[in-house]
Amino acid sequence: MLSATDLVVGYRRGRPVLDGVDIELHPGATVGLAGPSGCGKSTLAAVLALLLEPWSGSVTLDGRPVRRFRHRVSAAERTSIGVVFQQPRLAVDPRWTLDAVVRAPLVASKRRDDGIVAELTEAVGLTRELLGRRPHEVSDGQLQRACLARALVLRPRYLICDEMTSMVDASTTALLVHLVRSVAAAGTGVLAVSHDDALLDAWADDVVRWR
Amino acid sequence: MTDTRVTTTSAEDAATSAGTRQPASALTVDRLSVRFLLGRKGKAGVVHAATDVSLRLRRGRVLALVGESGCGKSVLTSALLGLLPANAQTRGRALLHGPGDDLDLCTAPERSMSRQVRGRRIGLVPQSAASHLTPVRTARAQLAETVRQLRGTTLRGTTLRGAASRGDVDGLAERAGLSPAALDAYPHELSGGMAQRVGFALALAGEPDVLLADEPTTGLDRVLVDHVTDGLAAAAAEGTAVLLITHDLAAARRVADDAAVMYAGRIVEAGPAGEVFADPWHPYTRGLLGALPDGGFEPIPGHPPELTDVPGGCAFCARVPDPPGPPCNGDPEPVAVGGRLIAGHVPC
Amino acid sequence: MAEREIVAGAIGQWRQAARTRAGTPRGGAGGRARLRLGVGAGLLGVLVLAAIVVPWLWPASEQLFDYTQVRLPPSGEHVFGTDQAGRDLFVRTLAGLRVSLLVAAICAVGAITLGTAVGAVAGFLGGWPDRVLMRLLDTVNAVPHLLLGIVIVALYRGSLTAVIVSIVVTHWTTVARIVRAEVLSLRRRPFVDAAISGGATRGHILRRHILPAVAGQAALSAVLVLPHAVWHETALSFLGLGLPPHLASIGNILSDARSELLLGGWWNVAFPSVLLVLTTLATAGIAATLRDRLVPRRRSELAL
Ligand SMILES: [Zn+2]
Repeated sequence: MLSATDLVVGYRRGRPVLDGVDIELHPGATVGLAGPSGCGKSTLAAVLALLLEPWSGSVTLDGRPVRRFRHRVSAAERTSIGVVFQQPRLAVDPRWTLDAVVRAPLVASKRRDDGIVAELTEAVGLTRELLGRRPHEVSDGQLQRACLARALVLRPRYLICDEMTSMVDASTTALLVHLVRSVAAAGTGVLAVSHDDALLDAWADDVVRWR
Repeated sequence: MTDTRVTTTSAEDAATSAGTRQPASALTVDRLSVRFLLGRKGKAGVVHAATDVSLRLRRGRVLALVGESGCGKSVLTSALLGLLPANAQTRGRALLHGPGDDLDLCTAPERSMSRQVRGRRIGLVPQSAASHLTPVRTARAQLAETVRQLRGTTLRGTTLRGAASRGDVDGLAERAGLSPAALDAYPHELSGGMAQRVGFALALAGEPDVLLADEPTTGLDRVLVDHVTDGLAAAAAEGTAVLLITHDLAAARRVADDAAVMYAGRIVEAGPAGEVFADPWHPYTRGLLGALPDGGFEPIPGHPPELTDVPGGCAFCARVPDPPGPPCNGDPEPVAVGGRLIAGHVPC
Repeated sequence: MAEREIVAGAIGQWRQAARTRAGTPRGGAGGRARLRLGVGAGLLGVLVLAAIVVPWLWPASEQLFDYTQVRLPPSGEHVFGTDQAGRDLFVRTLAGLRVSLLVAAICAVGAITLGTAVGAVAGFLGGWPDRVLMRLLDTVNAVPHLLLGIVIVALYRGSLTAVIVSIVVTHWTTVARIVRAEVLSLRRRPFVDAAISGGATRGHILRRHILPAVAGQAALSAVLVLPHAVWHETALSFLGLGLPPHLASIGNILSDARSELLLGGWWNVAFPSVLLVLTTLATAGIAATLRDRLVPRRRSELAL
């Protein structure tokens, strides 16, 4: 279980974005988080992805408290949580081919490709030709497909989707969400952050709505 | 100059001068094609961004142009505003109907585009308006400057700047759904939705006949999307012709009077929005609607073709062979059937 | 009616869409940039080639004292004339240029390496390492560069290493500042977050994402430092603090030429100076073109 209790987080001193928030992600379940932009959904996603240190409160990963964040948390812990960001164009190094983007976590953690790359790129519908291209040569939707494959390539136990579909069209949205639902069915705990209520109703098991 | 204009027929002239209430065309796009030559003289490939696109924008109506990202729909805004890059070529016409004579936007000289068309007769509501604002000045200062520039009169080539009263600027902001108090903020203090409304107010500043909204709702949440689309509908209600270019079908369904569906650079289906969305004829339109969470949530298999390499014949059947419905006759050119346009998949 | 037919006929033809707009670089500007790069690179190439080949063809004449040939004005035999010791100035100047360019190139590489390392570490780590390194940088910048150079050279009088060290020590700061700013803006990009979440260490991110991104800026700084280093070396040598007198550098030659100018020997000053200026202009031309290419500007992206 990935959980956060009584989180207080902010960017500027004295102005917390989240104040006393609790959330739990269970393996195999999808929690939807809805709310207008600026309500702190993405901040919560960043904390759960261990990329942002909260001011106070605790984050627990599979029963063990997480005390450090970003680089300082062990690689094993941070790679057990996959993240997909809102803007695929900002979330990839513009110099890399899509293939390098998808493989990056394998390279960084010195793991071998046991066929997972082929499996995932097929599932997100990226052809060999598309994988050879660089980000400026593909559409936002195609890039986000690569980003989802990258987030899943280390078989994370949890997946954080921070507004994963807000830049992509309906058909790509359906494809990405179907894949995330299938990994959730295989036991991954998913946080689906979105401002689209209709989408979350079709995607998540429970939806938390923030004002 | 003369070869860029087309004399209108006297009947149309009479209709405009008499100020008849029937929805008059504000902009007619007539078999417009845009292509980009890559490399030196196109040796590295040719991007067929738009092929034989015909659209008619009427005053008081919203036309939604929908399609997946990368289908070529956004290139139309650049073409209509004369902002295509140096490697682009066009074919066909885009006539901006004015009192008396029409202006072909594809061939009009830069001078008329900058002094008469951009901002004055055609307003642009951009995608992510925040990046269109100067970070060091307040929204009010930028809006007031735009009003001064656009409402000034041109006399023998020199622009006499008009005055922009506080009331003018506040009025514009209110029409765009923005409280006048928010105008005193700097762009970084504005949320995405507010910045989008400032962008909308800037587009309205010149009181244009035509509004082009290029993916104005990308990245906004549903409430803000509704604000933006309501704003476009309100502008149309005041007599503006609106072109909403979007991949967000929910937004298009909410506001459009007419709809056109674009695939691989071509219009594959067009008609009154209610009919097109309730009873789509083209398998691509059905696929788009079926991908919505409340429409079945099934993705369309494959990818849209590269615009450098568009298959001949029906491009959609090259992606999804033998889609359900009436058989495809393979003709990429849309034909008129019962007040609607449909390419290839003509209903029996 | 005829007019309408002409326009209707035009639908079938492709035509250029772009218009000339104020502020948008067009083919002409690109052509000028290419010309500037071509001229700069060509000129620098010729100078470098001459500086390598000429002293190699006549290795002796650079230091050959020939008192029968003292203070000769330019002629067919001595194209740049000779100096007060009868040395051929053509060979000696090009040999001097070779030394100057070599010293400048070593200095540029040294300054870039040091500057990039300091800038990248400061920007990427942040916190106290950043503060310490930036205070160090401010301290170096607070002292006039030439003065600092003179102090270092005066301590280790007349050695090549001292000159190189003095130039590197005073020229890494600009590079460090540029690289640090670039790294600061890269460090918070979502793609770095994505790499962290994918298990990448800080060293991995620095090597794979940050350094390749700043390489272009660093290369540009290297080209910009090059002419600066040539002038710096020349100034030190001219003041008699630079390279040992037996090494013919542009600065040493100009220093020797001071007294000759009073005796009417204009050629002693003119040719070395012209070569110095040409070298500077050629490098500046290359640097300007490189900068134009690096500055992010709206490329003719296909807005699809
Ligand atoms: Zn078909």
